[in-house]
Amino acid sequence: MATDIRSTSWVNTNHPAPAQKPPASEVGVLGWLRTNLFSGIGNSFLTIVTLIALYFIVTNLVQWLLGAYWEPIWVNRKLFAVGQYPLEQLWQPALVLLMVSLLFGLSAGRWGSIMRNLGVGLGALLLALALIPIGLQAQVVMAASLALLLIGYLIGARIAISGRWLAVAWVLSLPATFVILLGGINLPRLGVTWNFAPLVESNLWGGLMLTMLLAVVGIALSFPIGVLLALGRRSNLPVVKLFCVGYIELIRGVPLITLLFMGMTMLPLFLPSNWGNPSQLVRAMTAITLFSAAYLAENVRGGLQAIPKGQYEAADALGLGGFDKLRFIILPQALTKVIPAIVGQFIGLFKDTSLASLVGLLELVAVGKAVIQQPAWLGVTGGVAKEVYVFVAFVFFIFSFGMSFASRKLESKLGFGKR
Amino acid sequence: MTSSTLSTQRPPFYRDTRTIAIMLQVLFLLVVLLIGWFLYNNMVTRLAAGNTAAGGALSWGFLGQTAGFGISEGPTFRPEESYGRAYLVGVINTLRVGIVGVILATVLGLLAGIARVSNNWLLSKLAMVYVEIFRSTPLLVQLLFWYVGVIAALPPIQEAAPLGDLGYLTNRGMYLTWIFPSETGRALTWWLLGGVIVGVMVAWLRRRQLERAGVPGSGVMAGFAAFVLVLVIGFLVALGASQMPTTTTYELRRGDRGALFEDINGNGAFDLNVDRPLAYVPITLYGADGQVVASGMTNGDGAFRFIDLPAEATRLEWTTPAPLVVSEPQRQGFNFSGGISVTPEFAALLLALVVYTGAFIAEIVRAGINAVNKGQWEASRALGLSTGATLRMVVLPQALRVIIPPLTSQYLNLVKNSSLAIAVGYPDLFNVSRTIVNQTGAEVQGILLVMATYLTFSLITSLFMNWYNKRVALVER
Repeated sequence: MATDIRSTSWVNTNHPAPAQKPPASEVGVLGWLRTNLFSGIGNSFLTIVTLIALYFIVTNLVQWLLGAYWEPIWVNRKLFAVGQYPLEQLWQPALVLLMVSLLFGLSAGRWGSIMRNLGVGLGALLLALALIPIGLQAQVVMAASLALLLIGYLIGARIAISGRWLAVAWVLSLPATFVILLGGINLPRLGVTWNFAPLVESNLWGGLMLTMLLAVVGIALSFPIGVLLALGRRSNLPVVKLFCVGYIELIRGVPLITLLFMGMTMLPLFLPSNWGNPSQLVRAMTAITLFSAAYLAENVRGGLQAIPKGQYEAADALGLGGFDKLRFIILPQALTKVIPAIVGQFIGLFKDTSLASLVGLLELVAVGKAVIQQPAWLGVTGGVAKEVYVFVAFVFFIFSFGMSFASRKLESKLGFGKR
Repeated sequence: MTSSTLSTQRPPFYRDTRTIAIMLQVLFLLVVLLIGWFLYNNMVTRLAAGNTAAGGALSWGFLGQTAGFGISEGPTFRPEESYGRAYLVGVINTLRVGIVGVILATVLGLLAGIARVSNNWLLSKLAMVYVEIFRSTPLLVQLLFWYVGVIAALPPIQEAAPLGDLGYLTNRGMYLTWIFPSETGRALTWWLLGGVIVGVMVAWLRRRQLERAGVPGSGVMAGFAAFVLVLVIGFLVALGASQMPTTTTYELRRGDRGALFEDINGNGAFDLNVDRPLAYVPITLYGADGQVVASGMTNGDGAFRFIDLPAEATRLEWTTPAPLVVSEPQRQGFNFSGGISVTPEFAALLLALVVYTGAFIAEIVRAGINAVNKGQWEASRALGLSTGATLRMVVLPQALRVIIPPLTSQYLNLVKNSSLAIAVGYPDLFNVSRTIVNQTGAEVQGILLVMATYLTFSLITSLFMNWYNKRVALVER
């Protein structure tokens, strides 16, 4: 006699059972704490040890921060920003900032991606500086720069401006910066002397402005050299290849500081005696450019190697000559691929410009050293070195971390580094 | 026209790619040589015109001349020695900070990198903060911060409090308790060397044996055990045979200083380079009426010196020391004696290099560990391995393949970055070369010498790391 299986008492017909809430130890704050901090004996132990260490670090840090003497930094804020640049001519660096902000805005609107990320960072920085009472005029300049950045962004995003012209504007902005900061053009040997304001020699430039200038010039001027070296290294002409490999490995094998000292003392030796001696800024920039070119070449080579062979063959099949193949097919792809690497290199170079302080340039670190030795702070117990160097490190940190953050955001968006 | 005539028809030579390639290279070479000649010519003209001590000729003779300056650190260097030797001392100082730095930075980076991927949220974030702060600020600023901001702010020697038995931290340097082989432990250095050789050999043999037997494992433990065994035997032998030379005698000057030595030529006086000084021997000084005025130990050069003795010492007694002695730093007036001392310059440079490079290595380690497939973790968990064993035996060996190439460049960076020593006055090779250049005016030679040295370092490190990389690389079919 067949019985209906469902009628037997051991089958639960009362289904489905109502869902229970997960236990409090698995979700919410408690659950998070459990999985992330106290998942086991070892993990709990680590958490407790870390907490104790953190307690000591944080209490000491807070104690120091509260007791620290920040007066020297506040008093010398102009020195940290632009060095000994004449007070009554500060409108010239301001003009450069306005120009760069506008270009940044336009580029962020036109190209988006990393330029937008960097533009957001620049905007935040300008906003912060406009709100901190650093001085009315300076705040107005910051606010105006911020406005130009935004206006530029809107124009770039709404109106189809030519990317080529924008690139040309960026390239021209570099010599323009020099002319504006100098207050004219001063090349007596070529018989060219023209000025719209009293000339400000480059030995008066300093602070963050000089640090930025060194890094930007280092990357910008090394770019063409680096691309040529990278192409040369992949060339199938043995002499060219040997030369490029030799140059790249030689430069990468020695510290920047040897090149800086070499630039300072030997660069004048290499020039004809009737050319006179180039200024310290030019010597340092030459050394930094030659240094940076070798590293840039390696980055670009990475991009070139990532181009599939089919692209070369397709270009050949289209009948493009060697130059056109590079110009229209290979380099556009390779250079796009290496943007994050070049941003990384720029960050490295930005930090490395601090070495210029060792050869007599008054960039950020050198300003810090000078501030520490000002007689006004001799009476401060323990000196002000800690405060000044922490501040200098903080300024470097804002820019380096900001740029690397912008670049990482882009990388994750493009899917680089994901496997 | 048939196709065969088409293929045999040679283009004119100026359209032939082979000719063009050669012509291009010749042209390139010419341009490079021309520029090089232009620069060289200018340099020679300027050097001849200028009144540098190099005087136009790029001679290397200055390396043999008397230096006339002292070097505060590293191997003993006296001003009457040559520039060449001064440079060598600089090279050794660079290697000193470089080798110690590489080891410590690797340890720190490995720990921070593992902490970074830890599933403990707090630890991982702490490691992240460390990495981001120290990676995003210039090394020079960090170095100056440690040197001027931290070490110079330590208490002066007179006020420094001891760190237990470890030693003292002062603004003039660190003075640490250390273990030294004493007079009776001289042979221990050779035992140590022998231990390393035996250890390596045993490790190699054991590894081969395991490989033949098909058992997994490395010979490292066996090798280490052999190494320790040799050291213990050496220590026991030294302890059993410990006795002072029969001709031991001493010299006592001004009642508070002198030297203990083996009087080889038997004239009762200490003769440099003839008599042998006796290092780390416990000594007791007695005054004229037989009371003890001081007790202590000779230093590494067999010398001793006491300060503020209650009475002049007239007699000295020594006891036979153990093969290894613990030497604690002791405050003597404005200085310390005993133990080892680390100068503020070395400490700051080392600290800065290790903390900075450690942050970069941590990122490399993190990337390497993340590159190992997640399935590897899960598989070893399934096999019942603990987290530590998984990391040690499964993940890290695979991660090493990704880690080693960038790690090599970090090591090279550390060595190159040690040239920042010039910012704090540590006499590394670059700093010494600048002193030499400033004194002799041999600008060009100085730069060439420094570059050649750094390039040699790069080459040696690259060769070694390439060899190691080949060893850990995946063996592919």
